[in-house]
Amino acid sequence: MKPDLTTNLCGIKMSNPVVTASGTSGYGQEFSQFYDLGVFGAFTVKSITIEKREGNPTPRIAECTGGLLNSIGIQSQGVRHFIQKDLPLLRQYNVPVIVSIAGLSVDEYPRVATILDQEEGISAIEVNISCPNLEADGCSFGGDPEISGQIIGAIKSTTSLPVIAKLTPNVTDITAIAKSVETCGADAVALINTLGGMAIDIQTRKPKLANIIGGLSGPVIKPIGIKMVWQVYNAVQIPIIGIGGIMTWEDAIEYILAGATAVGVGTALFQDPWVVFDIIEGITEYLEKNGLNRLDDIRGKIKLPETPQMQELKEGA
Amino acid sequence: MNKVGLRHSASVVSNTRICTDHYRLVLQEDRLASATLPGQFVNIRIHNREDLILRRPFSVALVKPEQSLFEIVYRVVGKGTSAMTDLQPDDVVDLLGPLGKGFRIPEKATNCLLLGGGCGVAPLWGVADKLYRTNSKMIVVLGFQSSAMVFGEDKFQAYGADTLITTDDGSYGLKGFVSEHLGKAMDRQIDRAYVCGPTPMIKAVTPILKKANVACEISLEAYMGCGFGVCLSCVVSVRNGEAIEKQRVCVEGPVFRLEDIVLDHET
Repeated sequence: MKPDLTTNLCGIKMSNPVVTASGTSGYGQEFSQFYDLGVFGAFTVKSITIEKREGNPTPRIAECTGGLLNSIGIQSQGVRHFIQKDLPLLRQYNVPVIVSIAGLSVDEYPRVATILDQEEGISAIEVNISCPNLEADGCSFGGDPEISGQIIGAIKSTTSLPVIAKLTPNVTDITAIAKSVETCGADAVALINTLGGMAIDIQTRKPKLANIIGGLSGPVIKPIGIKMVWQVYNAVQIPIIGIGGIMTWEDAIEYILAGATAVGVGTALFQDPWVVFDIIEGITEYLEKNGLNRLDDIRGKIKLPETPQMQELKEGA
Repeated sequence: MNKVGLRHSASVVSNTRICTDHYRLVLQEDRLASATLPGQFVNIRIHNREDLILRRPFSVALVKPEQSLFEIVYRVVGKGTSAMTDLQPDDVVDLLGPLGKGFRIPEKATNCLLLGGGCGVAPLWGVADKLYRTNSKMIVVLGFQSSAMVFGEDKFQAYGADTLITTDDGSYGLKGFVSEHLGKAMDRQIDRAYVCGPTPMIKAVTPILKKANVACEISLEAYMGCGFGVCLSCVVSVRNGEAIEKQRVCVEGPVFRLEDIVLDHET
């Protein structure tokens, strides 16, 4: 019997745990030319803002060893354009759609959520409180437990859809943010977003990104993501979408062992849009080889040494 | 965009140094060789290098569909292109393509001007190859840094093109930039122009071509993340009617019409 990969993420029924990480697969149009979007457990769209946004100047991207720096700056056509032009395509596929939203102010988030709430074909709202690129206070929303909670609370009061808080790793204690958004009603958390980073061309002495600083993604950030997912798993009850440097099925399993209910694939899709097939197949074979039927059999099932110090760490995490 | 088969495994036929820092990579893959238009590009994965996250985009220089061959010319500028110099015959290259929109080639004989700079000379081979088949007249002006970097002159001459070479230091051909040696060419009857080269060259030739009111297409370079439209890294400002909007070099380009491109100093 084939292992059962079906995943229930705060009420979203998914055929498998692999979702797209916001900002790495647009609104589905490009990937729909390659394959049926139904291959994903859920499709998370690029963050949408209330009004159209130009994004940052170029260069917006710079490769570094094992990673990728970007400062796209939430280039968005605005929520109305998304509803008219993009959502109809996504509705054609048998895949839950998670709509990521971003705002320049605390008030903008519930305004976008209110508009989306009236639309068919949306399974959840993901709240991007952690994009490190916005020039305004956007950078700091996700770093402040209280403001993070406020935004989530405001969105929850405007919509009956599940609300997922996307957390930034650029904080001292990610569990404080996770606990705060859980208290304010978040149905799930997604982590991690990109890590703040910077690169300089030593010949020209110019920053490699026009925005000077950006967000780091790719395999180089995976150990940080794993650590934070494990910490958050031990701190909250709500499910986690584990994201950060997943390039292979082994990486996905590692996140699930750390406690993730679902896993988000991002930068890997730039390199290989078809990697999702390999990841799903690899997870299936891993379960088969280990004689397991469900993802619940491995979720959070990390084997810790039973020392008092470890117990303390686990309880304190 | 080729909707079904975008990802290909091509085998290396040859990978040879053609001048300082420049290599010609000939690959064999049936569908790419027959489907790729001049100006379109392929996005190459650097094999066995997990530290290199992104594919590397290269405009296709020339296709030979009857032999299932296509070729690119790359300049060694970083880790990815350095690793590519190790490719040996029969090695397999993982690539996506053909990507983007290419040059529009008229069906009838036309008087054409081809302007290339550095590595950007190579994609014009494919243009010349198509124009040759329409009995078009071609004037070709190519710019390089120095004699050690010159390549491709004979290719254009073989297509019967009047070919002029410039080098920045005057070590081969005429001294100076392409833009400084367009006077003679512009005196002749020119109906269409094709441009591929570094941004400074494009900026320098644009006012001359605009003044001459020649229908012109330009292939732009950009840092790319994905190469197929999702990451929004490679955007440029482009006129769309009255509006100026961000378009993706990888999907709406890399070839744009001269009149649509908004260069930095215009904004």
